[in-house]
Amino acid sequence: MQIETNTPIVKQKKTRNWKRWAIHLFPIPALLIFSIFIVYPLVAALSYSFYDWNGITRGAFVGLANFIDLFTLQPFSNMFWNAAKNNVLYFVVQMIVQNGIAFVLAFIIYKRIKGSEFLKVAYFLPRLLSVIVVGFLWKLILNPNFGALNVILGEFGMESLQKAWLGDPKTALMAIILVNCWFGIGFAMLIFLAGLQSIPKELVEAAKLDGANGANVITKIILPLMLPSIMIMTVLTFIQSFEAFELVYAMQGSQGEPYYSTDLLAVFFYRLAFGGSAAGDSTAVGLGSALAVVLFLFIATCTALLLKYMQKKQVEM
Amino acid sequence: MKGIGRIWLLSLMALMLIVSAACSNESGGSNSDNNDEDSVTLTIGSWRTEDSANYQKVIEAFNEKHPEIKVEFKPSKNTEYNTILNTSLQAGEGPDIIHLRPYAPGLELAKAGYVEPIDGLNGLDTFPEETLQASRGEDGKQYGVPLNLSTTQVFYNKAIFKEHGLEEPKTWDEFIAINEKLKSEGVTPLAFGTKEGWLLSLAHGIFGPAHWGGNDFVEKISKGETDFTSPEFVKSIQVMEDLKEYFPNNSEGLGMEDIRTLFFTGQAAMFPLGSWEIEVLREMNPDLELGFFPMPSAVGGEPTLTTWVDGSFGINANSEHKEEAKKFLEFLTTEEFGELFTTNFKMISAIPGVQSDNELVNDLSKAVSDYSTPYMMLVYFAGGNPSSKVTIETELQGMYIGEQDVDGVVKTLQENTEAWFEPFQ
Repeated sequence: MQIETNTPIVKQKKTRNWKRWAIHLFPIPALLIFSIFIVYPLVAALSYSFYDWNGITRGAFVGLANFIDLFTLQPFSNMFWNAAKNNVLYFVVQMIVQNGIAFVLAFIIYKRIKGSEFLKVAYFLPRLLSVIVVGFLWKLILNPNFGALNVILGEFGMESLQKAWLGDPKTALMAIILVNCWFGIGFAMLIFLAGLQSIPKELVEAAKLDGANGANVITKIILPLMLPSIMIMTVLTFIQSFEAFELVYAMQGSQGEPYYSTDLLAVFFYRLAFGGSAAGDSTAVGLGSALAVVLFLFIATCTALLLKYMQKKQVEM
Repeated sequence: MKGIGRIWLLSLMALMLIVSAACSNESGGSNSDNNDEDSVTLTIGSWRTEDSANYQKVIEAFNEKHPEIKVEFKPSKNTEYNTILNTSLQAGEGPDIIHLRPYAPGLELAKAGYVEPIDGLNGLDTFPEETLQASRGEDGKQYGVPLNLSTTQVFYNKAIFKEHGLEEPKTWDEFIAINEKLKSEGVTPLAFGTKEGWLLSLAHGIFGPAHWGGNDFVEKISKGETDFTSPEFVKSIQVMEDLKEYFPNNSEGLGMEDIRTLFFTGQAAMFPLGSWEIEVLREMNPDLELGFFPMPSAVGGEPTLTTWVDGSFGINANSEHKEEAKKFLEFLTTEEFGELFTTNFKMISAIPGVQSDNELVNDLSKAVSDYSTPYMMLVYFAGGNPSSKVTIETELQGMYIGEQDVDGVVKTLQENTEAWFEPFQ
């Protein structure tokens, strides 16, 4: 018996060794793609940010001068902090409005209220459109003289509320953020719904048997167990808010019009690096690269911290 | 084993895909066609995708004289043209013939050594000095053959003017009186909106010269003998503010398409904009009775019509076919091309004296030779970052939404320009 089975065992071992060795080869294509399309641009941007740029030609090595300029040289530093402030507002409003509403909607659907399947589709519908289409559509709706919103307000005798929504610096940024919320609610809702559905029913029933009321069930059972999906949505919203670009570009162009009230860091970066959309606008590749590096470091650090915090929370539970 | 084999195959395919993509990028991007040794193919880069059919006609006319040179017109989207061109030039590639953006941005490429100087090219002397300046580098060398002139002026709806018994204004006061009358009779006088910044410097280019009195001031300021704090210039900004009462409701939220719609649907009487709108307006509303007038002076001078050279053609310094490209550029200086251009493109050719079959274009062309004044912010102040042109746009926008006043606009513009414009330092 032993002699007979000896040979197969050796063969098996050989195969296993080969397999173990081969496993290290499999990530190569992925790594290759990752390095060409992600690592290389990052390193390139980093290297660009250390040089002086004369138009589109690279000048002398200037060390950290571009970074210092970004934070001190007028009018760039003003634009930088203004854009950063707008990004923070973008994040906060999205967290409260988009994720708040999405959570409520997910809960309604989870409770299987009549017509919830229809609601699920309806809420997710905007997500099917491309951001550019969404921007164009809302630009039409918000048009001060021909747009649906002002016409409807007029029909209901609320002329005093009619506004140049995207032309007034008081309303322009908020209008864009709310459009983004409208666009993002469906996705957030699906994440929350998945979180709700993964909560074991027995836990909720056991709590009810122990005499917990509805509010207690939500705060003591559902919310803590939903923490992973809440944290995921927070991280995603954070990243999305700080790299937001397409919607603003589609609705307001690359100058952050009117009067920089809708300027965001990514829009500011585009303007610096590629010269904006206005004819006769020049480029500042060095400053643009410096901004890209700062933005990357900020997003990466904050995301890492958030994820770490999330892991800790999960372990605690 | 079978599974591993399949994964290997897949990863191998992925690798090959990347490698082949990288390779084809290298060879496919080059501009010369070396397989065919007898004939040479020139490529033209441009942002005018809408003109492809028209350029085909130009190329056909060129080929009647030079059948041995194939020419391909390869435009890219307006807003992406600069990025595409810049990256391909940096990689030592790009089209043989480059459509240069007017003034500073186009010359930036020449300064970086990507454009071949073409001094002494046959036919360059066809053009007036100020037209050639649009593509002349700081080193005094010529880098491009000018293509067309753009103009800005006030268009008006003849039917509305007739209905309200109005005539083309001869003085600034008459112009204001027209606005007042239209406003009091319930018509929006000026189709204008301040949502898109570029419209603001464009309109300032129309109304401003009436207050600084035309070319003397422009010449002085371009040499640094006066600056933006001068009373003439401050007045030109003040006037922009004063005109706001003749704009449509909610003008701060209106962009290019909105104001064009207001004008061609007859909801507004006048439209301060550029010559390229003639063709668009005609398509939108063929019945529109379109007229224009040069801006009457407020200081007792001649009326003014703002002009600039809108793009010119240069040769890629890395091109392998510079001689052939020169032949094509020479063709662009001929009267034959000028006529072909005006007839098909419905724009004013940079070649003087060329007639169009479009009456309005002809009238404009004539007005250009009589009343021309440069679009100062584009021609002299498109440098800096953000450029002075962009600065005045943003600051005027700030003024219209109440976050900036006239003095603030002037102060910011002056400071911005001092930072890069040598005559001001």
